[in-house]
Amino acid sequence: MVDFLIGLFLASLIVALFTTRLFRLLLWYSMNSLMLGILALSIGNSIDDKAMIITGIMTIVIKAIGIPFVLKNLSQKFHFVRQIIPEIKVQYAIMLVPAILVFTFYLSEPITHMIHTNANYVAISISSLFLSLLLMMEHKNVAPKIVGFLSMENALFLLGITATNGMPMLVELGIFFDLLMAIVVINLLFHKEELKV
Amino acid sequence: MNLTLLLLPAIIMFIVSFLKNEKVKYLLAFTSFVILVPIIELFLVPKPYNVFGSYLIADKLDTYVLLVSSIVGIGVTLALLTLDKHVKVSPKAYRKFYRFFAIFWIGLIFSILSNHMGIYWIGLELATLSTVYMIKTNYTPAAHKEAWNYMIVGAIAVSLILFGVILMYASAKPILGEEAMQFDLLLAHAKEIPSPFLFEMGFAISTIGMFVKMGFFPMNLWLANIERASFYPVAALFSGILESAVVVGFFRFSKIAMEVNYNHLFIFVFVYTILTIFIVSFLIFRAKDFMRLFSLSGVEHMALIVIFWVSGAPFAALLHFGAHAFLKPALFLSTGVLESRGKYRIAGALRGYKGKRGQLFWILVSLFLLAIISLPPSPMFFSELYGFGAMISTAKESDHMLAMIGAILFLLALLSIIFYRFVSIYQSMKYEGKVEEKTVYASELFALVIFAVSLMALLLPASLSYLKSIA
Amino acid sequence: MIIYLLSIFMLVLIAPLLLSYIKAMKMVLLFKRPVSILQGYRDFSKLMHKETILSEETSAITIYAPFLVLSPLIIVMFFLPPLVQGSYYVSFVDAFTITGLISLSTFFLMLLGLDSASAFGGMGSSREAFISALVEPAMILTIFSVSLMAGNLGVGQAGVNLAEHFPKEHMASFLFAGISFFILLVAENGRIPIDNPETHLELTMVHEAMTLDLTGIYLAIIEAAASIKFVIFASLFASLFMPFGLEFSALVAFLIFIVKLFFIASIVALLEVNTAKLRLFKIPNLLGLAIVFAFLSLITFYVLGA
Repeated sequence: MVDFLIGLFLASLIVALFTTRLFRLLLWYSMNSLMLGILALSIGNSIDDKAMIITGIMTIVIKAIGIPFVLKNLSQKFHFVRQIIPEIKVQYAIMLVPAILVFTFYLSEPITHMIHTNANYVAISISSLFLSLLLMMEHKNVAPKIVGFLSMENALFLLGITATNGMPMLVELGIFFDLLMAIVVINLLFHKEELKV
Repeated sequence: MNLTLLLLPAIIMFIVSFLKNEKVKYLLAFTSFVILVPIIELFLVPKPYNVFGSYLIADKLDTYVLLVSSIVGIGVTLALLTLDKHVKVSPKAYRKFYRFFAIFWIGLIFSILSNHMGIYWIGLELATLSTVYMIKTNYTPAAHKEAWNYMIVGAIAVSLILFGVILMYASAKPILGEEAMQFDLLLAHAKEIPSPFLFEMGFAISTIGMFVKMGFFPMNLWLANIERASFYPVAALFSGILESAVVVGFFRFSKIAMEVNYNHLFIFVFVYTILTIFIVSFLIFRAKDFMRLFSLSGVEHMALIVIFWVSGAPFAALLHFGAHAFLKPALFLSTGVLESRGKYRIAGALRGYKGKRGQLFWILVSLFLLAIISLPPSPMFFSELYGFGAMISTAKESDHMLAMIGAILFLLALLSIIFYRFVSIYQSMKYEGKVEEKTVYASELFALVIFAVSLMALLLPASLSYLKSIA
Repeated sequence: MIIYLLSIFMLVLIAPLLLSYIKAMKMVLLFKRPVSILQGYRDFSKLMHKETILSEETSAITIYAPFLVLSPLIIVMFFLPPLVQGSYYVSFVDAFTITGLISLSTFFLMLLGLDSASAFGGMGSSREAFISALVEPAMILTIFSVSLMAGNLGVGQAGVNLAEHFPKEHMASFLFAGISFFILLVAENGRIPIDNPETHLELTMVHEAMTLDLTGIYLAIIEAAASIKFVIFASLFASLFMPFGLEFSALVAFLIFIVKLFFIASIVALLEVNTAKLRLFKIPNLLGLAIVFAFLSLITFYVLGA
């Protein structure tokens, strides 16, 4: 079951890499976060960790519903460019994505020998970190870059959930707080204010 | 003495920033001064002092860094009072600046005092995000673009740090459980970490994150561009305070990494910093305006601090750190006056000051300029002496003596390039160009005097022995 | 053996039903009055009775090609994994053979399009060549990776192995292969994001363009080939990616299999209603995704074993 969810997590990220529409990208980001939340819930349920369950619920509420909704509103308010064509052509991306995956899988092989529970997920979270970096790189517009940053956060969260069986509650709440702060700052950054002296 | 008292001035500043009154400007500045009071109190209590359970513990290093940062903060606030005389800034931007300055302080206090990797990261991220908006108080397209730039690159850097933190936590969790995030426990149990490779991998990744944030190789120019686009007090905050928060994190992480595997740490950091200084020295040689010049020289000094720290001379690193934290903001604040006749006019920047204020200003600025390239009475001179000495003595114990001497000679050659550039810039500032009248305001001068006094205070025997006791 | 032959016969029989079912389902979803799901059989019998007219420009290829389009697909039908436990199956045929046979059929379809000497035929053939060139590597990779997970390179044996011992530990790579194969199913059968089977607008036709000049019995054969191709893909998907329900008695297992086929058809219909057709030069994006997923499934299996 966990394998299945983690597969969907990576799959939604890869589909996001090939998306050319902003709202579709937000949908895939939301799917990505939803999978992360369900993953946290199922792992938390299996190891009986209350903190992880709270984290999972917060992930679903904030990342899967809240942030895509806010970003969609922002994009309508500030008239973003909604057609986002990746700078890297598809034919190169087809070669680049598997190359990144192979590279990261082999990179994290020594690590997988050291973590005994859920060893493979470390590899997948590292590769999703790289893929979200690629997502940030391949777009010129700001909005997909933000989505890339947010999915990088997701990749880190995945690592936190799977490699360490959840970080301390305080840290996770703090990360959520910072994420909200980031959204506020992004909102403020979109306001183009004129100089009035 | 508790957390509330430490955070109170910042919270008051945050609330006051919402008032729409002409006098608010002075009230905000005043609350910003008040931040110093609880920090001095914290400085005086016996260490280690638990501020908030085992999460925030004040030890000697913390309070030293915090004290330095708060003095820098006061200097910056003083310069902010006359910001509108040099550049165009709206009152609304002023208030917003202070609002985010308050959040910045809260994040900073958390990250500097933290004894917990997670809280350190949270504070750092909060401070980073709040500076994003400070850049944008300058309402120009360039600043807007650079604010986005900072947001994205900063977010990547900070995410890398978190990534490393998680890996380090994962490496130590089998022996320490949930407490594997606390620096003191990690340090005590560093030798027992079951998978040192995982720890080193995490350390390397988070170190790269920190280095990117400080403008090391390969991101040498991004800080310079951002500081160019923003107002000069923001640049002073960056170099004086935010980088100190990052470097404190590096100090703490590397202390643990030294216990895990000293050789790996040393070689990694050594190669990285020498590469950085190599590139930065040539970038400095080509710098054509004050902001980029100072910001690149900040990168160079950060690299020196890091290299001194890992080569077993924490005293030199801390002295260098303190001196840099006072000198660089002072120089950044003085650019407000130096560039008041156009951005790229280096020639003649130090000419045309009338009256006692002007005299004092140019003398102070020239002293600072000569101090930043570590001419003798400057604390940087002593710290570099100590630092290179420590590097030699570390090499004595291993078989790499010759390589180390070569590296030091190479470093000195690179530093001499920077030295040459600064001296030539100083000459052109003083002896070339037209004489154009520039005005100096009392508050800026006062800020510079504060920095000069604190620099001299660094050289007092008492403070030197305090720094030695940290190490 | 008798079950084997009977099940193949049943699948061939059910083939037009599935395509009409998709059509009916789409019309229901669009609030239209649906066509009868027996429409496929009616069309077939109507075309069989109609007069066959050949264009003057055509050569002998037009006479032979429809049979050569149909016959490789019929052969593939014999190599599919068994629908019922205990039935006979061909175990040694691997991904390359199946893909090769399907491409052979596609090759003759393209020849047929070129042979009609109309402007549309050549255009349709070139588009078909473009799409199937992108489909084949992904298809080989996908079936290969599933066969590796099942522990046998033969597709038939792989289906049996998967049903007997489902690889729970390889769930992630299994999922990636499933996503990739579903995209291929849509692409190779000319369903909506790739090709619209209902349109006769020259800008968008692919499959229809090649068969535009055909009439009567030849058209009936080509239509039958198209529906058999869908059945092949759907039943490969059903037996490789939904490997359950084989252990029941023969009749129940067969019914379960039919339900699976209809389930796949419903998903395809839902997808068709909800998406717009891609521009021709956007198709590599989608098929590229399929290739990436197929490759990902293979390396996830090899490197991580997940």
